[in-house]
Amino acid sequence: MKRILKKSALLLPLWAVTVVGMVSCDQGFDELNINKTAALSVNPVFILNNATVNSAFTTGSVIYEMGIVQQMVSPNSGVLTGANFNQDSRDNTVQNWQKYYRNVIRNSQDVINQTQSVTTRSNLYNMARIIQANAYMILTDSYGDIPYADAEKGYTNQIFLPKYDTQQAVYAGIIKELTEATAALDATKAIESADVLYAGNIALWKKYGNSLLLRAGMRLSKVDAAQAQQVVAKALQSGVMESNADNAIIKHDANYVNGIGNMLNATEAANIYLAAPFVDYLKKTNDPRLKSIAVRYVGAKSGPEQVASRASTDPAVQIGMPLGFDNNTISAEVTKNKLASFYDFTQVDRTRMVKMTAPSFLITAAQTQLLLAEAAQRNWVTGTSAETYYNRGVRLHMEQMALFDANSAVAAADIDAYLKANPYVAATALEQINTQYWVASFLNGPEAFANFRRSGFPKLAPNPFPGKSIKGEFIKRLTYPNSEISANTVHVKEAIARQGADDLDTKVWWDK
Amino acid sequence: MKMRKFLLLPKVILVMMTFLALTTTLWAQNRISGTVTNSADKSPLAGVSVVVKGTTTGTSTDGSGNYNLSVPNNATLVFSFIGYGSKEISVGNQTRIDISLAESAEALNEVVVTALGIKKEAKKLGYATATINADALTENRTPNFINSLQGKIAGVNISGLGTGPAGTSKIRIRGQSSISGQNNPLIVVNGIPIDNTNFGTNPGNAAADNSIGVRGGGNTSDGGDGLSSINPDDIESMTVLKGATAAALYGSRAKDGVLMITTKTKGSGKGIGVSFNSNYTNETPLDFTDYQYEYGQGENGVRPTTPNPTSGQWSFGEKFQPGMTQVLFDNVTVPYEPVYNRIRKFFRNGSNFTNTVSLSSASDKGGFNLSFANMDSKGIVPNNTFNRKTINLGYSYELSKKLSFSGNINYSHEYNKNPPNIANQDNSIPTALYNLANSMPLDLLEAKKFNAAGNEFIYSRFQNRTNPYFTLSEQFQNIVRDRIFGNISVKYNLLPWLFVQGRVGQDYWSRDQDYNNFPTGQASIAAAPAGFVNGTYTQESRRFREINTDILISGTQKFGDFGFDFNVGGNKMYRRSDLNSVLVQDFVVRGLYTVMNGRVKDPIYGLSERAVNSVYGSAEFSYKNVLFVNATARNDWFSTLSPANRSILYPSVSGSFVFSQAFNSVPTWLTFGKLRAAYAEVGSDTDVSPYSNNLFYGINANLFGGQPVGGSSGTTTLPNANLRPMRTAETELGLELKLFDSRVSLDAAIYNKITNDQIVSAQISDASGFITTLINSGKSQNRGFEMLLNLVPVKTPNFQWDLTLNGSYNKTKVLSLLTDTPGERITVGTHVFNGELRQVVGQEMGQIYGFGFKRDASGQMMFGGNGIPLRTDDLISYGSALPKWNGGINNSFNYKGINLSFLVDFKLGNMMLSGTNFNAVRHGLHKMTLVGREGGVLGVGVNAKGETNTVKAPVQDYWSVVRSLALIEPVIYDGGFWKVRQITAGYDFTRFLPKNFPVKNLKLSAVANNVFLIKKWVDNIDPDSFGYSSDNLVGMESTGLPTTRSIGFNLNAKF
Repeated sequence: MKRILKKSALLLPLWAVTVVGMVSCDQGFDELNINKTAALSVNPVFILNNATVNSAFTTGSVIYEMGIVQQMVSPNSGVLTGANFNQDSRDNTVQNWQKYYRNVIRNSQDVINQTQSVTTRSNLYNMARIIQANAYMILTDSYGDIPYADAEKGYTNQIFLPKYDTQQAVYAGIIKELTEATAALDATKAIESADVLYAGNIALWKKYGNSLLLRAGMRLSKVDAAQAQQVVAKALQSGVMESNADNAIIKHDANYVNGIGNMLNATEAANIYLAAPFVDYLKKTNDPRLKSIAVRYVGAKSGPEQVASRASTDPAVQIGMPLGFDNNTISAEVTKNKLASFYDFTQVDRTRMVKMTAPSFLITAAQTQLLLAEAAQRNWVTGTSAETYYNRGVRLHMEQMALFDANSAVAAADIDAYLKANPYVAATALEQINTQYWVASFLNGPEAFANFRRSGFPKLAPNPFPGKSIKGEFIKRLTYPNSEISANTVHVKEAIARQGADDLDTKVWWDK
Repeated sequence: MKMRKFLLLPKVILVMMTFLALTTTLWAQNRISGTVTNSADKSPLAGVSVVVKGTTTGTSTDGSGNYNLSVPNNATLVFSFIGYGSKEISVGNQTRIDISLAESAEALNEVVVTALGIKKEAKKLGYATATINADALTENRTPNFINSLQGKIAGVNISGLGTGPAGTSKIRIRGQSSISGQNNPLIVVNGIPIDNTNFGTNPGNAAADNSIGVRGGGNTSDGGDGLSSINPDDIESMTVLKGATAAALYGSRAKDGVLMITTKTKGSGKGIGVSFNSNYTNETPLDFTDYQYEYGQGENGVRPTTPNPTSGQWSFGEKFQPGMTQVLFDNVTVPYEPVYNRIRKFFRNGSNFTNTVSLSSASDKGGFNLSFANMDSKGIVPNNTFNRKTINLGYSYELSKKLSFSGNINYSHEYNKNPPNIANQDNSIPTALYNLANSMPLDLLEAKKFNAAGNEFIYSRFQNRTNPYFTLSEQFQNIVRDRIFGNISVKYNLLPWLFVQGRVGQDYWSRDQDYNNFPTGQASIAAAPAGFVNGTYTQESRRFREINTDILISGTQKFGDFGFDFNVGGNKMYRRSDLNSVLVQDFVVRGLYTVMNGRVKDPIYGLSERAVNSVYGSAEFSYKNVLFVNATARNDWFSTLSPANRSILYPSVSGSFVFSQAFNSVPTWLTFGKLRAAYAEVGSDTDVSPYSNNLFYGINANLFGGQPVGGSSGTTTLPNANLRPMRTAETELGLELKLFDSRVSLDAAIYNKITNDQIVSAQISDASGFITTLINSGKSQNRGFEMLLNLVPVKTPNFQWDLTLNGSYNKTKVLSLLTDTPGERITVGTHVFNGELRQVVGQEMGQIYGFGFKRDASGQMMFGGNGIPLRTDDLISYGSALPKWNGGINNSFNYKGINLSFLVDFKLGNMMLSGTNFNAVRHGLHKMTLVGREGGVLGVGVNAKGETNTVKAPVQDYWSVVRSLALIEPVIYDGGFWKVRQITAGYDFTRFLPKNFPVKNLKLSAVANNVFLIKKWVDNIDPDSFGYSSDNLVGMESTGLPTTRSIGFNLNAKF
């Protein structure tokens, strides 16, 4: 036994090694758990660039918003089910929600959090507020009540399931943010030249913010004219977009492609057409923009036959696809129009206006001037006539065509001729202005949809598709995502109780 | 991180070993050898344990019954063997002891390999284990050897996923406990863990299941797992440690059990032994589709009559009438008639051919086993092959009387060519083929895969349904993995009753993968700008390294009737993985798929490191060799967790009582009886990825407008710095009985496992800025029982019938998530089409949720004004996707050397959401869509006003609600099945071999696997063919490859 003990003593170094080796058992662990291929922070202006580039519109807006305002339509169902059949397809209604919350608002909020108390970057802080306000406006216009005050606080405040705010409260917030942010932008402070929207140009950012403010103000025309007037006047006074150089544009490139352009060049190239009401309106008024926008693959019997040799951009041959048909019932319309197949209807030209690298216009001088025309017509602003604003707006949009693609440019003489042939008529001004706004908002689905609901123009006939699942004539809002119903049940139910059923019929607050 | 720190320990061990080696001369040693035979027929007994009494020093006999051992003076040798009476012989001054052992019903000193590679007598164990002999792995084999064990082990659920020969297999022991994370058992080879990362197919938000996806879309193949590198011929034995107790010493990664693989390190006989094994099986794809063949291709009741139709994925056309024709592709007129047997026409018969040659030797001092193996698999998709070459060397050697070492090294080279895409849409051959219009001639589809420009000929307006022949000819993928894993262990006997052992093991692999996500000309992608052709190509290479270093001190002492064993040790684990990946889009030179040829380039570099340090110990007390109590403790430190939370200590205690030997008077029919009980805790960080404690930022690979674009690093999971390790606590009780001379034996266990403080990936509102968050919350309970019953109904000298029944019942309940409010839930996975998987407090784990038909108070279905069904306001539950019953029944007959066995297995009590049927419904192939073909579907029920519905809905719109309304109720099924899993017939020719014939041993078997589906509930598919390895998508079926029936032979020869 003694011997055993003695031998056991030999083990001591062994025990020592074991214990020493293991006591500082987490040595170096903090260091090990630092991500060596990522940073704990990056210059927040680069994060704002992320929010900016993601502000471009979703492919879902082709299926819903552009369909509701009857600019595009598909006779096919499945993933393309939406406004074409007046049906609720949540795969598509979810898109604005996911894109703007996950990307734009998340990243802009990150910039706001990082810069709000950094005085040297006050311009960046205010730019982020403007980008965010733009996204919130698209969200609330789409869905009505949405998470706002509690949104984007998952990381900072551990709010995983934010409550929904009323649209009225969201608009109050948007107006406040835009007013404060544009006022606070200061050219004497540090300029954020890495910004991809305006290279940090304060004057342009101010115009962008004020133009959004004008848009927000006009949105309230139906629900609260007094506030609308006040906001619009404030925006105009602070300076809004006046030339196409002022436009807020995402200039897509090979790496950051135009999502809609990608869809219309890939899987859905042969499935989506310009709708008859849109084509007919442009044709009826001899609008030179039709040539910029449209193409028809004359005689195409199938998607594969939509080849360059058949392509015609001649306005005279364009035939928009009528609404209300599926890929079977459309055949009668094909026959009536003496077409080869539905693939023979007019499409938006995917080699020009919706090429993969075509720019996305978040807000333009043309839209701004047209809104001012309405404001002037309503006597909410003075100094410049409604007609002047109107003519500027139309001209600006026609000039804007060249920015999509050089081959879409409209000649100055054609613009003059158009304005001469289609003069401003005060008696029907609201319809005229807002119908032009509809054209000027082509490819900006959320804005075209919102303004159509607000103004009631253009005058469109309801989509006659049999077996629609809406009770009214037009879709009035998009439905909440399944993920919210599943995860954020309590709050989404509160919103539904307040606002109305979660369907395509319920009107949002400013549309009541 | 400093690698040096982790390499320090091996050095320490080496120094220590040298130091200790110097002291070896202190103890006198003798060498003893001999032969052990069966007392009845004098045949040699292989595998008899020969141990110096009161120590852990020992060996086992080789194939000829020989042993050779160094022993101290005055030693007593204990000879023991399963099913035989043990003998104790005092060595004295003998140098050779030949003895014979008598078969005994009473002594059942089976030895099993337990945690850390420690061998123990089975009767001492207070917890459930299952030992699998090598034959079960090699005779009737599957490409990934583990799949051949389905239905054979009580409480273990193994699924091949229908993803090709090199696909992942999914192993779950006693169900799944983690609410949204990993439930994979730990794989241990010769005491050291190896990596089992899987590259399974995981679209949807599969979250933290340790699988690795692919980039850039267009590729949804299953890239395999870590187990596929192992050649089953190298395996000597395999033990499954089922419960937390068994795994307590392996700590964090063992919360879901351990597969302990022991490979061969020694031959069985003097001199060089050569053995050869050849296995060939032929794989026939099985077609379970039962589609409608009354109405053919077309939409809205119209068949294609003009050129270039694009309804190739729809069977909502016209009723077939004799003489009708249809126009397909560029004006090809063919009969409008059903085209049957699409599955058999498209897929070929596959095959597996494995050849293994082993050289082995055993001597007084040790031995080795060296094997070379080649496996060639031909997948059923005509361009899919998998080749694996392995070299395995196992060795053991006694350097001196005190110092010995052993080790193994395994090299494998795997080439997986064109693993098929499944489950999603683009380039998924099964998805396109299973949904192809039922009148599309396959030969025409093949002939017209290209249009005039050499691009894909569009046959479906659903362009994501790539023509399967285009995919076959244009898409490629190469995955080449080189892997070396192995370990070396040095053991030093300090004292007769005490040894110290140091071990270093490394698993290293590199994996090169390249694939053209979208081949040039595929219809679903946009045209490239002028001067380029479209397409996407990805090239990536991964490197993985895991190093485990451990040290173990082990001793055993006996004081009278009392025995005491202990182990103390420590382990350092370090794991690093690197990824280099470049994805390019559009090419200058057509057909040249390289990253240099791409127009748009998107590179990624990824790095992940983690470490776990541990110390552990165990102590075992025994009384009179009938009562055993074992206690363990382990402390882990996790690098992925914050300093305050990263250390966790957890204990286990277990005991066993061999009551058959405890009392003087036991009934004679009771051969053996043992009760066991155990309680154990295990902590785990496995659901926490490195760096999930903080928000990290990155910069996109490409500038935008000349400026960087940044953001928080690609993660959609909200970081949480305060995560704690999750804890599992398991209690189990077991009973082992052998009755009537072992003609009846039973091993049964019940267990209750509580997994607490789970690291849950919870779906949160997008408006929070993230999609999911990791939270320490959640508690689940696994309760179940498992039993293994062996019966020998007939036993005569010439004939024996063995009947083995194993079955397990497991029910996993979610006890709490954020709170324990019943009904609170999280969504852990969403189906690629519609429906989702949730965990709900108070319900069984893995609930399938989705929208159903809206019904009024009296249960009548409700319809909209358009005659289309209305859907429920909320997602509703369809039950749990986890099988509750799992098991198998094996009958084995032996008649004069002829062996015939067949295995029936089952999984029952699980629901599934069938993506295949989802598509079959919306594309008009499912028989249920025959309703309403003429004049529309008149739904039976009421409208919103409560009046009887009178509106007929167009048939295609009506059935498309599964997609348009996400109304999945029609495609929910019971996912259970009964199958004839294996049939094996073998004959041992050995006794016919002439005495001096070079071949010593010869056995030939005929084998069949996945033979026949006896019963299933789901339409059109085999419920076994599943697609996803993730537990977050369990029950979310999406079309995989058809399962196959394999038939072949196995030839085993020893020289």
